[in-house]
Amino acid sequence: MSHHYLRFDRVHYRYPNGYEALRGVSFEIRHGEKVALVGANGAGKSTLLLHTDGLLLPCEGQVVVGGIALTPRTLPLVRQSVGIVFQDPDNQLFMPTVEEDVAFGPANMGLSPEEIEQRVDAALRAVGAEHLRTAIPSRLSGGQKKSVAIATVLSMQPSVLVLDEPTAALDPRARRQTIELLRRFLHTTLIATHDLEMVAELCDRTLVMHRGELVADGATAQIFRDRELLETCGLEQPVSLRTAPV
Amino acid sequence: MRERLTRALCRMDAVELSSRADTPLHRLDARAKLLATLLFLVAMLSVPLAQLSELLLYALFPLLCAAMGGIRYGDIVRQSLVVLPFVALIGIFNLFYDREAAFRIGTLTVTTGSVSFLSILLRGLLSMQALLVLILGTGFYPLCRGMQRLGIPALFTAQLLFVYRYTYVLIEEAGRMSMARDARSFGRRTYPLPLWGELIGQLLLRTLRRAEAIGRAMAARGFSGRIPDGLRAPDRWQPRDTAFLLGWTLALTLLRLLRPAERFSDWITY
Repeated sequence: MSHHYLRFDRVHYRYPNGYEALRGVSFEIRHGEKVALVGANGAGKSTLLLHTDGLLLPCEGQVVVGGIALTPRTLPLVRQSVGIVFQDPDNQLFMPTVEEDVAFGPANMGLSPEEIEQRVDAALRAVGAEHLRTAIPSRLSGGQKKSVAIATVLSMQPSVLVLDEPTAALDPRARRQTIELLRRFLHTTLIATHDLEMVAELCDRTLVMHRGELVADGATAQIFRDRELLETCGLEQPVSLRTAPV
Repeated sequence: MRERLTRALCRMDAVELSSRADTPLHRLDARAKLLATLLFLVAMLSVPLAQLSELLLYALFPLLCAAMGGIRYGDIVRQSLVVLPFVALIGIFNLFYDREAAFRIGTLTVTTGSVSFLSILLRGLLSMQALLVLILGTGFYPLCRGMQRLGIPALFTAQLLFVYRYTYVLIEEAGRMSMARDARSFGRRTYPLPLWGELIGQLLLRTLRRAEAIGRAMAARGFSGRIPDGLRAPDRWQPRDTAFLLGWTLALTLLRLLRPAERFSDWITY
């Protein structure tokens, strides 16, 4: 197995309407790294995330997860090691109860009911949502939905955690809870977000996307100091960096 | 409109909550309930159209099952009324084309067409009541899983589950669109017909987009088209399931073959 857990090799993706969302994207993420993926709307972040789990397959190039190249045949294997949390938790939660939703992934993996039960317990405990076990997902608050959405992925015990806008539409307290939750995880993590303050807190490394291309890949502090790059890519330096001497 | 949509969502939530109760009906294997309901439907629908009194006895099935599940039969009857317009549409022509006298009440002649019309209405109501009790006493998800375990192809059961889930998505999206419309309509309540066409088209596109996103989330968690068994071990067939199914098989067979209502009316006439 490669020590580079997630690798994109000159990945191109074109939507059926001809729009080229990814143009030769290449990068590697090593075990245990927490990497941010930033860029303006339409830069290709979500398209890139969908490639990590094989929900989209490259038109050209290759995605390799844990040494396994992503192909239609390797999809089931790869999906057990990559857990993706979507931006809108309403799309992620589709079962009648929280516990059934959290159990959905492990059940599809063919685990025994006892093992599923243990994983549901552990995942709900990890996100502090044990008390929501029998709740109806559609009736939860935004923050609770986000936590449960993360639990639905944790229960599959993935090696890589991929999150699309984990703090979007959360109130400050729920946002803080989500950040603290993500800080505790030891998984290899890729976070696509506009929340650069969170990136500054959580991620040592940042990838910057612009019009389907990866235009920068480096230490978060270094990238956030480059005002020109941020402005070109439709981003803004985090307030905490603007006010503090760099 | 928005209130009505919210109420619809609450009703669907109530169905989910009701299916989690712990009663003799809920404890039964989904397959036993499903088979008994199928048997009920076959027996009830095979009663000749003219035998209205016979049909009334079949109300015992939803009534007793509802009682077993602690479900209020009055609510079931009320909810089953929703099917009436559709069933009436099927049977309404009987009233006009079948005008032969069936019997007389005083000076009033009752035609065989009106008897068969009433019979069709009653069949529709009883079928709906049986299905409502089945869903409330089992839950939609366990029911689909039960169907799968009975050998019904996963393609069909998964589609059924998707339709159920799609109803949620449709209502949620309709609620959002309705809210956006209300916010900019300044109290206006009616809209020209072409606008409704556009709204419905938009609703379809939005729900399809969301359904696609949900499908992606399911695929990302290993869904391959077959409903997984989930958190609990699949129900084991118990003696109580056999007793329930055998009991209803016997009762429905006797009801169908012995036709007690007809015999009773013959006995009174005699």
